[in-house]
Amino acid sequence: MTTVTNKTDNTGDVRLSGISKTYDNGFTAVHPLDLTVPQGSFFALLGASGCGKTTTLRMIAGLEEPSSGTVHLGEQNVTALPPYKRPVNTVFQSYALFPHLDIFENVAFGLRRRGIKSVKKQVEDMLDLVQLGEQARKKPHQLSGGQQQRVAVARALINHPKVLLLDEPLGALDLKLRRQMQLELKRIQTEVGITFVHVTHDQEEAMTMADTVAVMNAGRVEQLGSPADLYENPRTTFVANFLGTSNFIEAEVDTKNGDDIVLKAGGGKLVLPEARCSAPTATGGKVLVGVRPEKISLTHADDAGDIPEGRNRITGRIADSSFIGVSTQYVVDSPVCPEFEVYAQNIDRDARLVPGTEVVLHWNPAHTFGLDAAQDIDAGIQEEAAV
Amino acid sequence: MTFVKWLKRNLVVIAGLLTLGYLLLPNVVVTVFSFNNPKGRFNYEWQQFSLDAWKDPCGVADMCGSLSVSLQIAFWATIGATVLGTMIAFALVRYRFRARGAVNSLIFLPMAMPEVVMAASLLTLFLNMGAQLGFWTILIAHIMFCLSFVVTAVKARVMSMDPRLEQAAQDLYAGPFQTFVRVTLPIAAPGIAAGAMLAFALSFDDFIITNFNAGSTVTFPMFVWGSAQRGTPVQINVIGTAMFVVAVLFVLASMVISNRRNKQKA
Repeated sequence: MTTVTNKTDNTGDVRLSGISKTYDNGFTAVHPLDLTVPQGSFFALLGASGCGKTTTLRMIAGLEEPSSGTVHLGEQNVTALPPYKRPVNTVFQSYALFPHLDIFENVAFGLRRRGIKSVKKQVEDMLDLVQLGEQARKKPHQLSGGQQQRVAVARALINHPKVLLLDEPLGALDLKLRRQMQLELKRIQTEVGITFVHVTHDQEEAMTMADTVAVMNAGRVEQLGSPADLYENPRTTFVANFLGTSNFIEAEVDTKNGDDIVLKAGGGKLVLPEARCSAPTATGGKVLVGVRPEKISLTHADDAGDIPEGRNRITGRIADSSFIGVSTQYVVDSPVCPEFEVYAQNIDRDARLVPGTEVVLHWNPAHTFGLDAAQDIDAGIQEEAAV
Repeated sequence: MTFVKWLKRNLVVIAGLLTLGYLLLPNVVVTVFSFNNPKGRFNYEWQQFSLDAWKDPCGVADMCGSLSVSLQIAFWATIGATVLGTMIAFALVRYRFRARGAVNSLIFLPMAMPEVVMAASLLTLFLNMGAQLGFWTILIAHIMFCLSFVVTAVKARVMSMDPRLEQAAQDLYAGPFQTFVRVTLPIAAPGIAAGAMLAFALSFDDFIITNFNAGSTVTFPMFVWGSAQRGTPVQINVIGTAMFVVAVLFVLASMVISNRRNKQKA
């Protein structure tokens, strides 16, 4: 048996300790924040505009001075270093390519400033990596949005930074190109192995690309975890609503049954695994029961007897249905929740499920999560809709 | 009927040509009369074609001396006003300081003030300070009134500059000086050049302020004015035509360069 000595290189770690930013006008963009981004990871800061994610990024770059706290890259404290002395590079929102320089000189800029004389080979290799070798002598305004975006990435990556910071790099691209560039960036990150810190307001983008996502809201990190973890186990209504869609039922704790909590909601009973409840579970306490729309099955009220035992079930009437190809999205009016959303795969469609039909909604209790009822049910919904 | 139709169709072109003619006619007259061989001392009536004046442009006493004074003053005034004006423009756009709004409007005041008023008040100032009128008082006055124009031209350019470009330069290891030289200055250059050209033109042909504050120094506009009292040598037209040709060549050269650049890109 061989011993694998996993000598971890942590020079590309980003460590923020108690970092905060309050502007002269008294507005606090970022509340004291601790965050560690491990070397080589693809980390996303996700949030609506004005949540402090870009400010956090700019503090790592050195373009914004923190009001308190420290920034470490690996073991080095860079808090007092100006941006041009930090081993990080940024891909700016709308790219900030130098309009008076051609593509080659844009990409060579960082190398030349560090006094490197023979840049030709490196620049050409980098332009090939982003498939822009042909465009080297063009000016930025002659390229398309997607090409400019790749120049911005090349211009930053050629310096082999310890950390690459990306500020909404895909915001200006149309949807199709954005999807393509997401995969492209992910490929480049895997190839070069540099730590990427990516700021975005697009939850799909964050989930597609990042290993770890920090959801930010009003200058604080609401929750941090892998995309699947955040989606399956949101700990606040903001996270539950900002990442995908969630249905919430207000319920009251009734009894405990082993590892499960039994809750009363509108005359019926719901089961929730205690491990998936982030709210206090004293008997009589209020809990928001959450479930994702795609976890739910829809059965016609006449067939209610066929539903297996042990599933959570509520009744309702279909208020609206829309067929979108891969699935059908139903809005169900239920006594416990006025607009319950259900996404059903179009495998065996029941032709009777039309608006006005009485139905039973049922799901595996393991797919239920519980949140503290003291928070706003709709937190995080507006922000996503505004995008 | 067909004429009316034709007129309707080409009215825009005709109006454009007439306006252009209106603008350029004085230059044509100046050029034509630079080849005149006048009978008396005044060059107001066409007599016969002659190249005498072109062969001997400095043949008139003191004229080329005054031209040289004017060019020197215009050169230094352009440099002074452009450097100061560019710095003011950056300060006004980039920095928030007390009384920034007031400074912004005060900068425009010299442009709006009647020149003759400014000329008289400047003279009062110089006399009270005991300054000796001449080259330096003219230069100080010219830098002063050119400043507002340079600030206006550069400010427009700086305002449209994306501050993220400089941040990107800093992010790419350029210190403050490198950032200024490699990014800020090249991008602001068209505005600065426009301001400088404006300053040169304004300074070169200024008469009122110069006349008040020149003492015994004579600039080219003052020479033209003075000689107009006693008779106008053809050489004045020669100088005027030459300046016009130089300006046209400048414009043509910049057009050719930008055309070639565009072709290279395409």
